[in-house]
Amino acid sequence: MATEQQADRVSPALELRGLIKDFSTGLRGLKLRAVDRLDLRVEAGQVYGLLGPNGSGKSTTIKMILGLLAPTAGHCEVFGVASTCVEARREVGYLPESPYFYRYLTGRELVRFYAELGGLHGKALTERVSEVIATVGLTAAADRRIETYSKGMLQRIGLAQAIVHHPRLLILDEPTAGVDPVGAAAITELILTLKAQGKTVLITSHLLGQIEDICDRVAILDRGRLMLEGAVRELVGRADRQALLVPTLPAAELQELRAWLESRGHTLEMVAAPQARLDQIFLDCVGKKK
Amino acid sequence: MKSKGLTFLLAIVSLVVAGAGLGKFVEPVWRATRAAEPALRLDSAAAAAGQGVTLALLGGFRALVADASWVRMYVAWEARDLPATETLLGLVTTLDPRPVYFWLNGARIVAYDFPAWRIETAGGFTAVSPAIQAKFKQQQGEAALQQIDRAMQYHPLSADLWVERANIQLNQLKDLAGAAESYRRAWQQPRAPYFAARLHGELLRRAGRSAEALAWLVKLHPELPTNDEGAGAPVVLGRIRDLERELAVPANDRYQPAR
Amino acid sequence: MMTRVTFSLRRTRLIAFNTVREAARQKLYGFVGVLAAAFVLGARSLRDFNFGAPELKFLADCGFGVMAFFGAALVITATAQLFFSEIENRTVLTLLAKPVWRAEFILGKFIGLAFVAGVFCTVVTLLLMQVLASREAQLLREFPDASGLGAFVSYSNVIFAGVLQWLKLAVLAAFTLLVASFAQTQLFTVVTGFFILVIGHLQYLAQDAYARGGSWLGRGMSGLMATAFPNFQLFALADGLNVGEALPWWHVARVAVYALGYIGVACGLAVLSFRQREI
Repeated sequence: MATEQQADRVSPALELRGLIKDFSTGLRGLKLRAVDRLDLRVEAGQVYGLLGPNGSGKSTTIKMILGLLAPTAGHCEVFGVASTCVEARREVGYLPESPYFYRYLTGRELVRFYAELGGLHGKALTERVSEVIATVGLTAAADRRIETYSKGMLQRIGLAQAIVHHPRLLILDEPTAGVDPVGAAAITELILTLKAQGKTVLITSHLLGQIEDICDRVAILDRGRLMLEGAVRELVGRADRQALLVPTLPAAELQELRAWLESRGHTLEMVAAPQARLDQIFLDCVGKKK
Repeated sequence: MKSKGLTFLLAIVSLVVAGAGLGKFVEPVWRATRAAEPALRLDSAAAAAGQGVTLALLGGFRALVADASWVRMYVAWEARDLPATETLLGLVTTLDPRPVYFWLNGARIVAYDFPAWRIETAGGFTAVSPAIQAKFKQQQGEAALQQIDRAMQYHPLSADLWVERANIQLNQLKDLAGAAESYRRAWQQPRAPYFAARLHGELLRRAGRSAEALAWLVKLHPELPTNDEGAGAPVVLGRIRDLERELAVPANDRYQPAR
Repeated sequence: MMTRVTFSLRRTRLIAFNTVREAARQKLYGFVGVLAAAFVLGARSLRDFNFGAPELKFLADCGFGVMAFFGAALVITATAQLFFSEIENRTVLTLLAKPVWRAEFILGKFIGLAFVAGVFCTVVTLLLMQVLASREAQLLREFPDASGLGAFVSYSNVIFAGVLQWLKLAVLAAFTLLVASFAQTQLFTVVTGFFILVIGHLQYLAQDAYARGGSWLGRGMSGLMATAFPNFQLFALADGLNVGEALPWWHVARVAVYALGYIGVACGLAVLSFRQREI
């Protein structure tokens, strides 16, 4: 355990160096470059957002991390192990976009199947399966066939199979796509719980508000290239400005404050009422807390 | 692309090398299989059987196609369609020479039904001269014997084929000597019927070879079980006595049964 | 340092079991039931012809023909469908994202398909034996003096024939899986599978062409066909015998080794091909 923790401190959860992926177009000599010299480093314990428009190379990058595609050039390592090795996948849990699972299996059978593939056996297997099903809130529906599940339930059972074998890195591809706000909030809460447990989470999403709320760092891709990378707080925040939240001031006091600031060489640039988030209002309305 | 090309080449080489080795290993089985299946040898009989052979071979259904063709043959037989019946008989025995049943019934159709159909086609039994009728019987009888001879390549120990040969020689070709010899050969095969031995003796007598007939029956009688009515031991003994009287054998030299 | 993930028969067995489960729940087995019922009904109608003892041969041939024809259709379509459904539905992504060797996936698929083929052959063989036994008993009552014209059935022969058919279907499944491992569509796989079936039955013609000689190109092509493809005519050993005659066991053993050899090579090549496949 100590050695693993030491290794974690040394090896990032994910490291991409000069990663390139070309696809053949069928025309002689012409290739499509889907990922172009991508360098990324995800430290252990972070929630990392991978953003980009459609066709930016996110899915291709994820497939290379999972060993489903071989890079044309460059390196991709998961906790210091090349992603093309089977060993690397022992530490990875994957939730695909719009997950499709074996329709004829029940939720419990599905999670059990993937748990066994992940290396769990015997009593530990049974206990862990029940545990993760309870974690994702599907105990009541565990013995129903997958084909009867709603979209949100599919996402949750997908999360269950992704975490069942205790992976250290979770890759979640559009985990809240098509899910209602209540379900999305539950998934977000789960991601934060996993982070608190020391897991590393790589998440892709088109819902930027959500990314902003839960990610420590983000990378933005476009046409296979890294356009921007950094801590969320640094990227969205304005270092040279402050916002103060006070009760609504009468006009005279507001004017007094403005004069005081001007006497010290500052300008009061904006006075506005703060706005609540619509998703928070929705959740409060339907009785769920964020 | 280079890697895919190499993989493809490796696949071909692996299959060829493995196939060559495995083919050598299974060669004795293939030789035995092929020897038993004229359809697989594609000899002249198979070629004459026509496209039905090819169809049957494509899916490995030769036995099933043979059975279906036998049923079709019966339909043609009922319609007295000689060319169709003949073709289908050839196809059936080419595809599936196993059952003696196909050969026996086929030979009977060729020997007995075909002459009758030809006579009817030629004008009927009253219109066609006895010479022509005899010629038809002779031709079809010989054709049937050729069929029996082909059958014996696959069933060399079949008493039933020798008996059928004898019947055709006797009934259609009026060849007493030939029939007698065929009954004798039938008696030599495993599980031969007792009547074959008796008929050999009887036909020798009818052919004027009474001494030979007597010697044969005297040799036969001790071999017949007394507790089996079908063996006909008393009948054989009676025939021995008839021949002894016919040949005026002295009393001291007459056959004395052991029991 | 992560410990090595070695090849696991347990994971292979899991994937095989999942394949069988998917086949069963997609009602592929219902197909077998309908087929078996059709066979029974068809067999009863043969009594109208009143062939007597040779009817047993007809029944046996019908059973083996059903096994060969429908078995081939079942194996080719099931192999293509059960493989491509994983790719089209992307369940293969989730599966291969786990610590699973691609070889385990391919071998698991093959074992599952071979099991499905085995169940099919077992059902038809048992049904055939039951129909033969019932009719044989009736015929012996009608013709108590019946002798060697197929009145007695060698049931060991019927069982061997069923085993040989199963081996043939397993070889066909392995070759179809090899095609699926690099093919882009299910349709291509099914069509190629049927081509392999036909080529396998006519492979001996290529052997003859090779032996006859000729141009280097012709000889090369015929040699390639004669070795790269299995000879499916070998698996119809039971066709070469009367129903009452037992198969020599060493014939069956040699054909079994032959089948296992081709299965090994085809599956090995399928693993090699699938390892290079970009999912």
